[in-house]
Amino acid sequence: MKTTEDLSRRQFFTKLGLGSLSIAAVGTAAFSYQFLEPNVLYEPSPVVNAGKPDRYPLDSVTLDVNNGIYIIHSQEGYFSLSAVCTHLGCLTAWKPELNMIACPCHGSKFYVQAQGDHKPGDKIEGPAPKPLPWKRIWLNDDGDLLVDRSTDVPPLARDSFVRV
Amino acid sequence: MAKTLDQHFDDLRSTRVWRSIFRSGAGSSTLKRAMAIQQNVFLHLFSTKVRTRMLSFSATWYLGTLTLGTFLILVATGIPLMLYYHPSVPQAYADTKDLQFVVSSGLFLRNLHRWSAHAMVFLVFAHMFKVFYRGAYRSPREFNWVIGVILLLITLLLSYTGYLLPWDQLAYWAITVGSNIASAVPVIGYKIHFLLLGGHAVNANALLRFYVLHCMILPLTAIFFIAIHFWRIRKDGGLYAHSSEPAVLQAQVQGTPTSPKIGEKWGTPDTSGGKEEQ
Amino acid sequence: MADSKDFIAGVDSNAKKSPRRIVFITRRTSAQVKAETEDQIQTFPEVMFRAAVAIMTLAIVLVWVSLLFNAPLEGLADPSHTPNPAKAPWYFLGLQELLHYFPPVVAGVLVPGLVVMALIVIPYFKVNIEADGLFLKDRPKRLPIFLVIAAALSLFLLVFKVYVALIPTLIIALLMLLASQSSPQSPSAFRRYLAARPLSYWVMTWFLFELVVLTAIGTFFRGPGWSLVWPWQGL
Repeated sequence: MKTTEDLSRRQFFTKLGLGSLSIAAVGTAAFSYQFLEPNVLYEPSPVVNAGKPDRYPLDSVTLDVNNGIYIIHSQEGYFSLSAVCTHLGCLTAWKPELNMIACPCHGSKFYVQAQGDHKPGDKIEGPAPKPLPWKRIWLNDDGDLLVDRSTDVPPLARDSFVRV
Repeated sequence: MAKTLDQHFDDLRSTRVWRSIFRSGAGSSTLKRAMAIQQNVFLHLFSTKVRTRMLSFSATWYLGTLTLGTFLILVATGIPLMLYYHPSVPQAYADTKDLQFVVSSGLFLRNLHRWSAHAMVFLVFAHMFKVFYRGAYRSPREFNWVIGVILLLITLLLSYTGYLLPWDQLAYWAITVGSNIASAVPVIGYKIHFLLLGGHAVNANALLRFYVLHCMILPLTAIFFIAIHFWRIRKDGGLYAHSSEPAVLQAQVQGTPTSPKIGEKWGTPDTSGGKEEQ
Repeated sequence: MADSKDFIAGVDSNAKKSPRRIVFITRRTSAQVKAETEDQIQTFPEVMFRAAVAIMTLAIVLVWVSLLFNAPLEGLADPSHTPNPAKAPWYFLGLQELLHYFPPVVAGVLVPGLVVMALIVIPYFKVNIEADGLFLKDRPKRLPIFLVIAAALSLFLLVFKVYVALIPTLIIALLMLLASQSSPQSPSAFRRYLAARPLSYWVMTWFLFELVVLTAIGTFFRGPGWSLVWPWQGL
């Protein structure tokens, strides 16, 4: 006797068909997503060779426009700030007469020296939501300064400086 | 009592949002089935009803449908392939290698695209011969036959332009030979050769032209003519099935021989004494 | 074909009203399709589902092939080095085979051009509408004409040494000869079948035969320098 739980033949095949189609659809979606993410990128390396440390005199701020970083030589040593404004990605500029880093797009300004509570990279004013990040900097075996733009380091931390 | 999955789907289908998108809804009544075709912007190219004998597999071997199927597979695989392909020299070759070795599912997509392309050329020829041998080119379907020949040419051109894109030895020399044949046309041959390649030899300009032809111009043209082809099937009286053509049915009623009459034209007044079949 | 006694139509000449479609239904004609007593079925689901199944089957076959066989890819294009042999895609190999015998103007332009022209005009020529066997009507006149044309074509191919095209032509000619000696009363079913084939059938079958043979030769039997090789000597 057919109870309310029994499936008719038509219902069985409908469920089977729709179930298989769903599995196929999920599989296709998974493979499509995998396809869309490139496995290999042909972009330049994030690691920048900034040359020998004696290119950067004490208390100098040097902007590398091609790689979007500042190399700053302060009392504590050499450190690197990102030159890309954290607001919308414009290239900032070093203003020596004002002793600050300024963004031409929407007027964000950043400290380049420690002043009171403020660390280098902190925002003075402007729409930027975050301070300019510090980038990892170290010396390679040849004695060159290397900066890794893909790695942020804590500001003013001991390992965020290169001491020569 | 907890609702079953089916009941949840029924609830979904009765929401305002759903009903605003799917105006007719599913159903197995004749009306609902007709509306599934008639209310659909893409499907209403077809008529809601067809003659039963048109389903006959032995009549057509479904070759036209299969050709359309290969075309759809080619579009579905071709567009993803475009995402990793730069039509420049020699980057194109590096990209083809990348697709085969680096890109997830790249090898599968490229293979499927290639074999579907060969299948489509084969099927379109087979379709043409099958249509010819069953006499489905006769009046009133002459123009649809011509549209079919145009589609054959477009298919061959699509395959030919696509052949160059990997920029390997096979591609380069096949196209060099082919375009030199084009230059054998008297008087304007050289000009055709020059315009086709965008230069005097198969180089970067040629690759770019073939890429645009292959990915944009020819597919759009193909879709245009496919739509006309389907429309004409419908307007010319549906798929040709010899035994159900009115000339034959008439002959059966009158007891005369059943081979199609010479020059029998659809739509001319019938001479069977004015009795309209209801 | 409007018979004015079959209807009365009133036409509204008020230009401000949007036009109304007026349908004239006259006696003894209809738009294109005559009314029939034949059964009809719904496009959806009958036709749509069958098409979906056909296409899905095709897709499964092609996916299987794609998982097993790789598309070919040779070395980077090198304008300074022509591979030997340099073959066109398979559907053009029939043409490339012809190019071996005739200059490009003939094999590359004339022949394909004429073939395309011939295909396009097929439905507009009465000879293709006739469905009666070629030699069942007017045999005394048609048989000599056929013999002359077949002989001329074969001679032409022989003179240019196009044996690959000559053999299929001779085979078809022999079959047509057999058809001319057959009738609907012939003893064997095969001869009855041949006798009933119209001219359009013979021409198209000859074309199909040539196409298959030439493409097969070009694909499997041609090697370096377009020389004749056995297929197993390396594709």
